[in-house]
Amino acid sequence: MAIISQIQGVGLGLKRELIPQIQSLYGQKQLANINFVEIAPENWISAGSKAAKQLDWFVERYPVVCHGLCLSLGGLSPLNVDFLMQVKTFLHQYQIPVYTEHLSYCTDGFKGKQGYLYDLLPIPFTEEAIHYVAQRIRQTQDILGQRIGVENASFYVAAPISEMSEIDFINAVITEADCLLHLDINNIYVNSINFGFDPHAFLRGIPGDRIIYSHMAGHYQQTPKLLVDTHGENIIDPVWALLEDAYQLFGTFPTLLERDNNIPPLIELMHEINKIADYQHKSGGRFIATDQLAAMG
Amino acid sequence: MTAELPGFQRYQLAFTARLRDPLKQPPLAGVPRERMAVYEEIVFNNLFESVSACFPVARKVIGKRKWLKLNQAFMRDYSANSPLFRKIPEQFLQFLNNADPQLQAMLPPYFNSLCHYEWIELFVASSPDTAKPDNIEPYGDLGNSKPVFNPTMQLLNYDYAVHKISPRHKPKQAQSTQLLVFLNAADQIKFIELNAVTYRLISLLQNTSQTGRQALTLLAKELQHPQPESIIEFGLSILEDLRRQDVIIGTHH
Repeated sequence: MAIISQIQGVGLGLKRELIPQIQSLYGQKQLANINFVEIAPENWISAGSKAAKQLDWFVERYPVVCHGLCLSLGGLSPLNVDFLMQVKTFLHQYQIPVYTEHLSYCTDGFKGKQGYLYDLLPIPFTEEAIHYVAQRIRQTQDILGQRIGVENASFYVAAPISEMSEIDFINAVITEADCLLHLDINNIYVNSINFGFDPHAFLRGIPGDRIIYSHMAGHYQQTPKLLVDTHGENIIDPVWALLEDAYQLFGTFPTLLERDNNIPPLIELMHEINKIADYQHKSGGRFIATDQLAAMG
Repeated sequence: MTAELPGFQRYQLAFTARLRDPLKQPPLAGVPRERMAVYEEIVFNNLFESVSACFPVARKVIGKRKWLKLNQAFMRDYSANSPLFRKIPEQFLQFLNNADPQLQAMLPPYFNSLCHYEWIELFVASSPDTAKPDNIEPYGDLGNSKPVFNPTMQLLNYDYAVHKISPRHKPKQAQSTQLLVFLNAADQIKFIELNAVTYRLISLLQNTSQTGRQALTLLAKELQHPQPESIIEFGLSILEDLRRQDVIIGTHH
């Protein structure tokens, strides 16, 4: 059973390919810097007995956090309350203290149903969208009885109808919803290239005291001006520099490596995990997420 | 109807309409085509890969061009209602079973059965609960008490020999086929081909509260067999064999 204050140090996104390697190397020095793991509830809810046994194994050994993909906070269809209740039961069953989602949408209410498109689509940054999304985050938090974190998403298309910058949108939503921030460092960089802004200036606009934890990942450079958030490459230097800057600005916060495609052996991934740990040790300030953070304010 | 929506939602609807059908829906005003193409590719490829991974034989049997067309229609016409990625193939089956006649006409008659058979493996593999129900006597008498089946077991009846289909072996005619799919005690997926009599026996035991002997007596009657005892004897040995294979997990007290 984990509590929020145990989510510390460095985490790893739990991909099925990695499970046997983690299990066989568990307890050995090479893996010492993996402090917590992250799963997508969509991949583990009612996934069968084999998956349940694997999850039991991890829950006994690591603090686990949940990072959702399909809640569709900005979606057109009504919030999927049945699914959210399943998430609630799941979080409770495995004593998972953290649930975060993306500031994006993946449903279009097609033909009167949810209309899942199973991807992270960009919400236009408008005043109406702020209230709409914030209300859905509040509804989610009311149902779960805890605060959730929302992640700054990567995107490739700027809506011509947007009325404000991404950072203003994020801040307005977080304030109005009174939720936490799941800070994705790579997404800041990806968007800064795709839309031509200064990622370090962006970082200075984020509400640091709302950070629950952060993501680091690699991306794919389709053209010099278009990066695609594949989580399939190594992390590049400018993204490391952003992480370092963020630790300087806000103090060290828990940080998790996402690698979803083109996954190398775990031992190779440990280089990036260990590098995050090094950055955390170098950084002066200590950040410990408190259990009050997720309690409803 | 969409005129009543706030501006950002009208934009979202135009956005997803384009994703669902890039061939027919207009591009969005003020959005660079190559940027929109990133979403068009990612969203379709995700769905396409999830579906393709579940139906390796079905997709080869109809060939790349038709498979692509089918998936494009799935993207365009189907409103997925489950947030679980695992359920995408199941939703594809629903789409297939309700597909318009024009689409059906391009598919071979055994296609939906084949897809169902390919999907059942995924379904059984993620069976919610393989924990044995309470009050089970693992070594109980299968003749004089009620046999209990593995909770993951799927008893299947197809009009085609779906388990033998491959690109080189496409059925030319229907052939009634009965199969069992289940997870054994080691969580491995197992397939058993049944004869019609065993299929009937398992159906009888599944749907009634009869003991093994009662079900076999009924079966002998159905078959109008001159020596019911030999059917019962033979049937009991089949049940024992099913127990050895984890299809039967014991008897009720």
